Parts: sequence; C-alpha cells; structure tokens
Amino acid sequence: MARRRWWQGLLARVTISYALGSLLLSSIVAFAAFTIAQNRLLSEEQQQAVAQFRLNGLQVRSDLEAASPNATNEELGDGYRDLVETKVRRGNGASPLLVVTGFEPVGQVQLTTIPDELQGRLLTDPIALMRYRGAADDGGEMQLVLGLFLEDLDAKYYEVLSLGGLESTLTDLRRILIAVAAVASLAGAALGYYSARRALAPVTRVSNAARAIAAGDFKTRLDLQVDPELDVLSSSFNEMVDALRIRMERDERFTSDVSHELRSPLMTLTASVEVLERRKASLPDVAQRAVDFLREDLTRFEHLVEDLLEISRVDAGAVQLHLSTFALAEFLVNVIAQSRSPEIELNHPNRDRRLAVTADKRRLAQVVTNLIDNAMKYGGGATGISFRRIGDCVQIVVEDRGPGVAVDDRKRIFDRFSRAGTDAGRRGTDTGVGLGLSLVAEHIRLHGGRVWVTDRVDGKDGARFVVELPVGEHEDDDVEMAV
Amino acid sequence: MGTRILTVEDDERIRQAVTMALEEEGWDVIEAGTGEAALDSFTDAPADVVLIDIMLPGIDGFEVCRSIRRASDVPIIMVTARSDTHDVVAGLEAGADDYLTKPFAPKELSARIRAMLRRARNAEPGDMQRIKVGELEISPEEGMVKKNDEELHLTKTEFKLLVELASQPGKVFSREVLLERVWGYDYFGDGRLVDVHVRRLRTKVEDDPASPRYVVTSRGLGYKLQP
Repeated sequence: MARRRWWQGLLARVTISYALGSLLLSSIVAFAAFTIAQNRLLSEEQQQAVAQFRLNGLQVRSDLEAASPNATNEELGDGYRDLVETKVRRGNGASPLLVVTGFEPVGQVQLTTIPDELQGRLLTDPIALMRYRGAADDGGEMQLVLGLFLEDLDAKYYEVLSLGGLESTLTDLRRILIAVAAVASLAGAALGYYSARRALAPVTRVSNAARAIAAGDFKTRLDLQVDPELDVLSSSFNEMVDALRIRMERDERFTSDVSHELRSPLMTLTASVEVLERRKASLPDVAQRAVDFLREDLTRFEHLVEDLLEISRVDAGAVQLHLSTFALAEFLVNVIAQSRSPEIELNHPNRDRRLAVTADKRRLAQVVTNLIDNAMKYGGGATGISFRRIGDCVQIVVEDRGPGVAVDDRKRIFDRFSRAGTDAGRRGTDTGVGLGLSLVAEHIRLHGGRVWVTDRVDGKDGARFVVELPVGEHEDDDVEMAV
Repeated sequence: MGTRILTVEDDERIRQAVTMALEEEGWDVIEAGTGEAALDSFTDAPADVVLIDIMLPGIDGFEVCRSIRRASDVPIIMVTARSDTHDVVAGLEAGADDYLTKPFAPKELSARIRAMLRRARNAEPGDMQRIKVGELEISPEEGMVKKNDEELHLTKTEFKLLVELASQPGKVFSREVLLERVWGYDYFGDGRLVDVHVRRLRTKVEDDPASPRYVVTSRGLGYKLQP
C-alpha cells in the first residue's frame, strides 16, 4: 500500500477546500469592488475635466473670435499666450495647450505629448478625449487628454490632466483589497479546520473505540444520541463489536475446552505409558520399540497441548506475568542444563555476570527452551547462547549452524504453524510443531521486548535469534546468587 | 504396611491409571471418586499423603483440602488444570503443601511425595540445636515451636520452612534456595509456593501478620528470620 500524504487526510482536504473557496470568493468580491471603485473615480474625474474643458473651450473660441483682424502676428501671439496662461481655468491642475495654424503652439505641454490617435480623432469629431500612459521619463503616470478642434478658426485646444493621484489611490485600494482577500482565505481555512474537526469528531470517537477494541477492550461501546445521523453508524459499530466479542469468546472457549478435554486422556496415557516403560525389560523387542514410539509422541502431544493452551491464554488476553527478579546468568545455566542440548556454552561479558532481570521466569525459560529446540530442529543444534546488557535492555542471542533463515521468512517464522524454509523445515522425521517460535514472540511481546532473526555476525552459516528484553525495574546488584 | 496415598479424582480412568502407576512405584493407594468419599476414607484411616484434584463434583477440592487440613497436618498435593490461574494460590491457601498440573508424570509425583515425606520425618536438620528467636523457641529435633511457652500448630511444610529460616537468623534466603531446601525443587520451582507458605506461617507466629516481626520480606531478595 502506498504511503498516504498528509494532504490526503480528510481534515486537510476540508481545510484546503475552505481556504480555496474563501480565497476565490474574496478575490471575486475584491476584484468587483476594485473595478467599481476605479470606474466610479475615473468617470467623476473625467466629468469634472470635461466640464472645465468645455468652459475653457468657450473662452478660447470667444477670445480667438474677438481678436482684431488688424492685429500683427506678434500681437496675436501675445494674445494667445495671455489666453493660455491667465484666462483658462486650471482648477483641476490641467495643463493647457493652444495650437493655432501659423503660430508656435503655446502652453505648458509639448505638442508631441499629445497622442496621434487623439489628433486623428479630432479630424472627425470636434471634441475628443482619451487616456494614455505617459512616457516613462515623465513618471509614467496615467494622463487624461482632451482636445477641441475649432475648424472655423483653424485652431486646436488641448488640456492634459495627470491621473497620477487617482492611480495611487487605486493602488492603495488594490493593496488593501488583496490583504483583505488573504485574511479572508486564512479565516476560511481556520473555519474549515474547525468545522472539519467538529464534523470529524464522531469519526475520531469511532477510531478511538476501534483502537481500544483492537487492544482487547471489548467493553468499549459508542454512545448513542450524540447525533441522530451518526447513531446508525454507532449502533452498527456496537453490533459489530458484540458479534466480534461473542465470536472471539467462542473461539477462545473452544481452544481452552479442547485443551482441557485433551488433558484427561493425556493423563491416563502418561500414567499408562509410564507403567509400560517400567516393565519394558520384560516386553518383546518389537513391543519395546512400540513403547519408545508411544513415549516420544506422547511427549510431543503434551507439548502441543501445552503450547495451544498457552496461545489460547495469550489470545484471551488472560495472561498475567509472574514477575520476579533473578540473576540472568544463573537462570540461563539452569535452562540450558534442563534443555535437550545441555552441552551448549553460555557466554557473556564479565561485567554482566551479575546482571539481574525482572521477568516471568517460567515464560522466559520457555522462550529460551523453544529457541534451543528450534535450533535443534532446523539449525543442526545451537552453537552457543550469549547475553549482554545494552542500555536498559538485555539481548539474549541463540545461534545455530543451520542454513539460516531466508530474508523473506524472517518475519513469517514467528507466525503460528509456519516453519522456516518450508522444504528444509520438513526434512527428517521430527516435523515438530509450528507453535514454538510464535510462543517465543508472544511471551517476549508480553514482556515489552522484541525478537528477531538475522544471519550470524561471524560470517559462518547459521541463524542468529536475538531476544531483546527490558531489564526491568530493580536495583543493580540486588540479587543474591542461589546456591 | 507401606506409605498410603489417598488419591481423590472423579475421572475413573485417570484414577485407575494413576493408581496403577503409583502402585508400580511402590506406594499403597487408596482411591476416592468424590470429595465425600475422600473425607470418609480419611476419617476412617488417615493416609500419609493426600492427592486431590481441584475439579470435583459435589464438595470441591479446595473444601476437601480445608477439611483435611483442619484435622491433620498430612502432606497434601493439589492437582490443577493449569499453573497460571488463581487455582494454584487458592489451593495453597486452602492448606495444600504443593501442586502439580495435569497431565503430570507419576514419576514426578513420586519424587514430590518422597520430598514431602523426607521433610515430614524431619530427617535433614536432625543435628540442629534448639533455636530461640524473640518469644519463639524452635526445637527441630522434636518438631515443635513454642511462643511464650505455648505450642504452635504448624504443618510439616511450615515447620520445615521456619527451621530453614532459623538455621541462620538474619540471613536472607532467596525463594530458589527455599524451594530447593524445603520442597526439593530444582531451579524452576514456583515462587508462589514460598510466598503462600510464608503468609500462612506468619498468621501462626506473628502477633500482627500484616506487619511481621519475625518472618520479614527482603524486597526483591527473599525472606529472613529477624533475630
């Protein structure tokens, strides 16, 4: 399964959707507000400019018409200058320009700043206006230019008005609106997160309940009447838990009952086989061999039933560890001595010779015994057992000289009834049972430790089983060696 | 007449097989199929060792154990279904000296019986002197404990445990050592045997068993007899 990214979570997705939604909405509103404000301000400015331009136009016409036909060109030029500089109104700061054919243009702007397009338009319309952006060396501001063509007088009158002030107002407005949109998006994201959290709260409750149940707490139930729509989910969840609990209890009881029922015939068998063994010498050869078979398989049968019971206890969550504190070296010496390979050597660093651990002795003994048995079955016998303390943990290592465990099998061999290297594992007469290593894993898990298998570190063939246990709470050098 | 073992077991086949195996080991066996039959038999002719299955119809194993214990300090071995339930502790609390889990090997049972009888005959500490600790006066030879000159009634296991602790007053004995010396177990004996017997011993020798003066717990180590 591919790993899920954080943004694939429901909470993240809802939050992002809210943020994007509010960003879109606030952007539209901001854009509309800006456009409306821009048009409004521009048209107001323009109307005022046009009104003044019309008045000034009338002034220009009357002045030009009133000019004496006998005046010299010089006098006329002075009159034009006087008209442009003093008579026209410049209430809005517009710069006038008068161009009379045959005279130098007079005014505060150059004729070259008047766009050709406007001049062209004046060929058809007596009055025209347009906006344009001024050259960069003039500050690059937006300009409004108005033109009037007095055809009968052979004159043109222009006014150029800077819209720079208006533009900077609009720039400020745009900044404010962008900021507002950004804040609105953040607020949207926060709202989205909050409401998603609220909407997801029941899901969180369900997942917490599921986790509690997975941990074995079958009393966990979801409360009803939290939300009528969620009650459907809650009640089917509760029904599922009930069904699961009943089924698990039935399975557990079955395993437990079967094991108990098996104990009675096993007891009779054990006692009877023992009588046979005592009298073995008086039996014919073939019967003696039969008794040996009986003995061996009876032992295996007993172990199988014991392991099954142990597993069913673990499954039922009914295991109580009987913790005690003891010296590990002495413990392992005893475990090895009672195992099927009492000759195995025990190694440990000298500093750990008095290392004490707190654990369930019986279960830890079963762990080590099972590892030794496993080494015998599949690894040609254990070559050595060692332990050493690493921080707050102790590692117990059992190595063998078998073919090792294939990388793919290294997790699987701790499953029930599975065996390392299915082909290799089935060779020989001793087929064993596949519960030994799974019990090892369960016991170690109950102790809060880990178990794993690797290749031997010394480069030789063979498997290396490592059990790592917390040392447990006790004072160091606290344990007296039992004599 | 040899050592007599009363076997209380309701499953007839198991009872017959165990009886057969124990007789092979050289013991005299008296069978009882119910708790009532066991109590009647014990009243008529007390056995030397009693083996009780906890799961019995009618009077259960715990009750049989308590009844016999009230009348006698005979060694009692409980047979339980499994070792990690409270059955073990409950059985020991009811007065059992030791326990076995089904299915057990009759050879192992014989070894346990021998260990108990050895203890009951009080053979090992035979050369021990009389020990005085506070108000307690322990006479290993006579198998007797007196507190303020009044004789205390201990079972044989409790007595052996007390004598073991008294052999070196003040020295801490680990559970493993006590299991080996009192019960004859190897390294893997059940520490709860010691704990329950210490608890029972305290109810008899201490003024206040909740805060013991004599049999003191040494945390994480074991027990000692406070001199």
